Amino acid sequence: MAHVADIHDEHHYHPPGLQHQFEDMGQQQESASIGMWMFLVQEIMFFGGLFTVYLVFRSKYPMAFAAGSNHLDAFWGGLNTLVLIVSSLTMAMAVRSAQLGKRNLQVVFIILTMIFGAVFLGVKAIEYSAKYHEGIVPVSGLNLKTDKEIRESDESAGSPQAPVGRQDPNESLNTALGDHDSHGEKYVNTRGDFLWKDTSLVVQAQQGNYLTSDEKIAYFSNGEISQAKFQDKVRIFFFIYFVMTGLHALHMIVGLGIMTWLLWKAWLGTFSALYYSPVEISGLYWHFVDIVWIFLFPLLYLLGRHFLHGGGH
Amino acid sequence: MAEGYKTAGDAEHQHAEPHIVPLIYYFGVFAVLVFGTIITYFVATVDLDGRLFPGANTLIALLIAFFKMTCVVLIFMHVRWSSRLIWLTAIAGFFWLAIMFAFTMQDYLTRSAGVFTG
Amino acid sequence: MQNVNPINFEKIKEEPKVNYLTNGFTVKSWLLTKDHKRIAILYLITVSAFFALGGTYASLIRLELLTPASDLLQSGTYNRVFTQHGIIMVFFFLIPSIPAILGNFLIPIMIGAKDLAFPKINLLSWYFYIIGGSLTLYALLQGGVDTGWTFYTPYSTTFSNSYVMAVGLGIFINGFSSILTGLNFIVTIHTMRAPGMTWFRMPLFVWAHYATSLVMLLGTPVIAITVLLLALERLARIGIFDPAIGGDPILFQHLFWFYSHPAVYIMILPGMGVISELISNFSRKKIFGYEFIAFSSIAIAVFGFLVWGHHMFVSGQSVYAGLVFSFLTMVVSVPSAIKVFNWSATLYKGQISYDTPMLYALFFIGLFLIGGLTGLFLGSIGLTVHLTDTYFIVAHFHYVMVGGQVLAYLGGLHYWWPKITGKMYSEFWSKIAAIIIFVGFNLTFFPQFILGYMGMPRRYASYPPEFQVLNIFSTAGASILAIGLIIPLIYLTYSIFFGEKASANPWLLPGLEWRTSSPPPTENFEETPIVYWEAYDFTEESGLDLEDARNKYKVTV
Ligand code: HEM
Ligand SMILES: [Cu+2]
Repeated sequence: MAHVADIHDEHHYHPPGLQHQFEDMGQQQESASIGMWMFLVQEIMFFGGLFTVYLVFRSKYPMAFAAGSNHLDAFWGGLNTLVLIVSSLTMAMAVRSAQLGKRNLQVVFIILTMIFGAVFLGVKAIEYSAKYHEGIVPVSGLNLKTDKEIRESDESAGSPQAPVGRQDPNESLNTALGDHDSHGEKYVNTRGDFLWKDTSLVVQAQQGNYLTSDEKIAYFSNGEISQAKFQDKVRIFFFIYFVMTGLHALHMIVGLGIMTWLLWKAWLGTFSALYYSPVEISGLYWHFVDIVWIFLFPLLYLLGRHFLHGGGH
Repeated sequence: MAEGYKTAGDAEHQHAEPHIVPLIYYFGVFAVLVFGTIITYFVATVDLDGRLFPGANTLIALLIAFFKMTCVVLIFMHVRWSSRLIWLTAIAGFFWLAIMFAFTMQDYLTRSAGVFTG
Repeated sequence: MQNVNPINFEKIKEEPKVNYLTNGFTVKSWLLTKDHKRIAILYLITVSAFFALGGTYASLIRLELLTPASDLLQSGTYNRVFTQHGIIMVFFFLIPSIPAILGNFLIPIMIGAKDLAFPKINLLSWYFYIIGGSLTLYALLQGGVDTGWTFYTPYSTTFSNSYVMAVGLGIFINGFSSILTGLNFIVTIHTMRAPGMTWFRMPLFVWAHYATSLVMLLGTPVIAITVLLLALERLARIGIFDPAIGGDPILFQHLFWFYSHPAVYIMILPGMGVISELISNFSRKKIFGYEFIAFSSIAIAVFGFLVWGHHMFVSGQSVYAGLVFSFLTMVVSVPSAIKVFNWSATLYKGQISYDTPMLYALFFIGLFLIGGLTGLFLGSIGLTVHLTDTYFIVAHFHYVMVGGQVLAYLGGLHYWWPKITGKMYSEFWSKIAAIIIFVGFNLTFFPQFILGYMGMPRRYASYPPEFQVLNIFSTAGASILAIGLIIPLIYLTYSIFFGEKASANPWLLPGLEWRTSSPPPTENFEETPIVYWEAYDFTEESGLDLEDARNKYKVTV
C-alpha cells in the first residue's frame, strides 16, 4: 500500500497554479501543450479550407491570379513578412526568458512582440486602404465612390497597372474596353463597384499560347477577350486575398489580446521555471500565425511576379 | 509494481525541467527565415516557368516556405525536443491538409480526361 | 496484485454525503459549473429539447406525405420543414448526443480522472452550442431555411429566399462546440488516465470517443470555413460558388462533404462505442477481439476522410474521381464490418441477459447491418445513379442514424441512467418502449427502401398516387415510433423523482464507472483509483463479487 499513500500525498501538495483536476504540474503542463497543438491542427484545417479554394481557383484561372497578384504590393508584403519573423524571434525569446524565470526580460520581449504585431497590422491597414482607394475591394459598395478622390489617388500612384474606373454604370462595357488610361470625367464609381480593366496579361498569354483550356473559355466571349469576364476572375482572386489575409489579421488581433493578458501576468511575476506553460502555448499560437503568413506571402504576393520583370511565361 | 502505477496519463514528460534551447538555434532560425524571405522574393522575379517547366516558380517558392516552416516548427515551437505525440500531431495536421488537397484535385485535374464518358 | 484495491466495492456501499447533484442547488451553480457531469446534464436537457423540435418537424413531414398531393404543407413550406428537420437533427441532436452527454459524463470516470483536462473549455463548448442553437432557432422563427441540410450552391447562395446566413452562422458557432469537445476528449484521454489505466485497458467506449474526437477536430473546422464562405458569398455575391460569374458550385460540395462524410462517423462511432460496452457487459464475457474493435474505430476515423466523393457521383465530379471514391467506400466499410463480426462473436456462448440496454444493443446490430449494407449499394457507382436522391437514401441513412446512433444513445442512456441519476427506471415500461421503437422504426423506414427502389424521389411534397400505400405504412410507423419515444420521456422523468434508489453497481460490472457511488461525488472518486484489471474482466481478478452476480444473473463462472 505504500505507493498509494505516496499518490495521496502528492494529491495534497498543491503548487501554485495547479488546477484541481490535475495531479501534478507535469501533467498540467503536458495537457496544456498537447491541447494547444490539437488546437493548431484544428487551425490548419480551418485555413486549409481556404487554401483548397485557392488551389482550385488558381489552377482554373492562373492568369487572373497572376494579374491580381502582380497588383499587390510585394514591398509591403515582404516587409510584413520580415516584421512577423522578428516578432516570432522575440516571442521565442519571451518563452525562453520565462523558462529561465527572468521576469524583466520576459516583459521586454512580450512588449517587443506586441509592437511588431501591431506594426504588421498597421501595414495591413495601409494595404487595405489602398485597395479601397483603387476600387479593387471585391465587394460592391466597399470601394471609394467619389470621382475626385479616385482621380487623385490614381495620379499619385501613377502606375500603368492602376485600374481605371468604369465610365458610367449604364454605359456598355464594350465601349469602356480599350481606353485603359483615359482620365477625367470617366473616373466615376458611384456604386463603389469592383473595378478592373487591365487584360494585358491575357493578351500576353494568348500570344505566348499558354492559356489553359479552362481559361480559353473563361476569359473570352465570341472569340474576343472579354474584359467583364476577366474581371470576374480577378475579383475571385481579390476575394480570396481578403478572406485569407483578413482571417490571418483576425488571428493576429486575437494574438495581441493574448499577449496583453500575458504581459500583465508576466508583470506580476507569475511565471517561473516551474510554471510557464501559458507563455509556451501562447508562443505556439503566435508561431503558427507566423507560419500561415510564410505561405500567404509567396502564394498571394509573388506568383506571376516574373511577368512584371519581362518574363515571357 | 509501484513504479508502473506511479504516474497518470502517458507521462512522457512528467516533472521534466524546462528544456532551455541554446540561443544559437534561435538566431540560426531567424537568419534562415530572413534569408529565405529575401530569396523567395528574388527568385519570384525570374521566369523559371519559362526556363525550367511550368509551375517551377511556385514550386521553388513553396519549397522555401516549407523549409522555413519546418525550422519554425522544430526550433521555435520546440518540436525537436518534444514527445512523439507532438511530432505525430504536427505531421498529422499537414497530412490531413494533403488529403484535402489531393482528393479535391483528383477531381479537378481529371475532369477533361473523360475515361468513360460516352 | 489483486489485493491492491483502494476502491473496492465494500467501501462504496457507504454513500458520500455530497454527490455531484447535491453539490449546490442554485441556478448559478449549474450555469457556471465546471463539473463535467453537470455539463453533461446541461447538454442532456438542451439536446433533448432540440430532439423534440426535430421530431415535431419529422411528424409534419410524415403527415404531409400521407397523401400524394401537397395539401397539408405547400411545397415551399415543406422544403423548409425537411430542411429544418435535417439541420436540427444532424447538428443539434445527433452530433452532440452521445459525445456531449454520455461521453462528457463518462470518459473522465471511465479512465479514473477527476474531470476533463479543460473544464472551463468544456463549459465554453456548451455555451457555443447554446449560442449556435439560439441563432438557428431565431432564424427558424423568422421564417427558416429551405436549402436542405446540405446547403447546395448556387441555390443557397443565389436563389434561396430564406435565412441561410443566420443558420449558417449558427452552424459555424456550433461547430466550435464540437471542436472544443473533441479537443478536450483527446487531451484528457492522453494525459488524465489513472495509474494503471493503460491504453489497452480502456473501455472501448473511450476508444470510440477518441476516434470520434479526431474526426471532430480534423473535420469540423472545414465545415466552419465553408459556411463562412457561403455566408460571405451570399452577402457579397463574389461568385466563388456561382457558375454564372466564374465560380464553382461543385467546390462547395467538396468542402461540404469533406466534413459531412466524416461527420456521419461522428454520428455512429460513439454509438458503436456504447454497443461494445453493452454487448460485452450484458454477455458477461470479455469482448471478442478488443484490439480489433479499438483499431477499427481509428481506421474508420482515418479512412472516413477518403470517401466523401461518394455523395457527388452525379454532381459533375470527374468519372475518375468517382471510381476512386467508389472503391474507397468499399474499403471503409471493412472496419465497420469487423465490429459487427466481433460483437456477434462476443454474444456466442455469452451469458446473455436481456436487460433493456441489451435489447437496444441487439436491435442496433440488426439495423446497423441493414443500414451499412445498403450504404454499400449506394457506394457502387453504377447502382447509385438509379438510387441517388430517392427514398432509398433516406432509408439508408435513417437506418444508420436512427436505427444505429439513436438506439445506441437510448441504450446507453438506460444503461448509465442509474449512475447519472442514482435512480432505477421501470424495467417493464422500458422494455415495452424499446420494442415499440423497434417496430415503429422498421415500419417507418423499411417501406422507404422499396419506395426509393421504385423511384420515388426525396425532398418533394407530392408524389404519384401509386406510391401512396407504402407511404401510409411509413406514416403509421412514424406514429408508433413517436409513441415509443414519448414513453421513455415519461418513465425516465418519473424515475428521477419516484424511482427506486440505484446501488453503485446495479448491473454488477467491473468497469471503473461502477466503482464509485451512484450518483458519483464531484471529484468522481474518493481517491485516485489504481487500475489493475483488464477491460471487461468478469473474473475475480477484477475484484468483482461473483456471489452477487451468480445470484442475480445465474451466471456459471
Ligand atoms: C458502412 C458504411 C456506409 C456506407 C458504405 C455509406 C455509403 C453512402 C453513400 C454512397 C451515400 C450517398 C448516396 C448518394 O447520394 O447517392 C450515403 C449517403 C448518406 N449516408 Fe451513408 N454510408 C455508410 C454509413 C453511414 C453512416 C454510419 C451514416 C450516419 C450515421 C450515414 C449517413 C448518410 C447520410 C446522412 C447520407 C445522405 C446525405 C444526403 O445526401 O443528405 N451513412 N451513404
Ligand atoms: Cu458518406
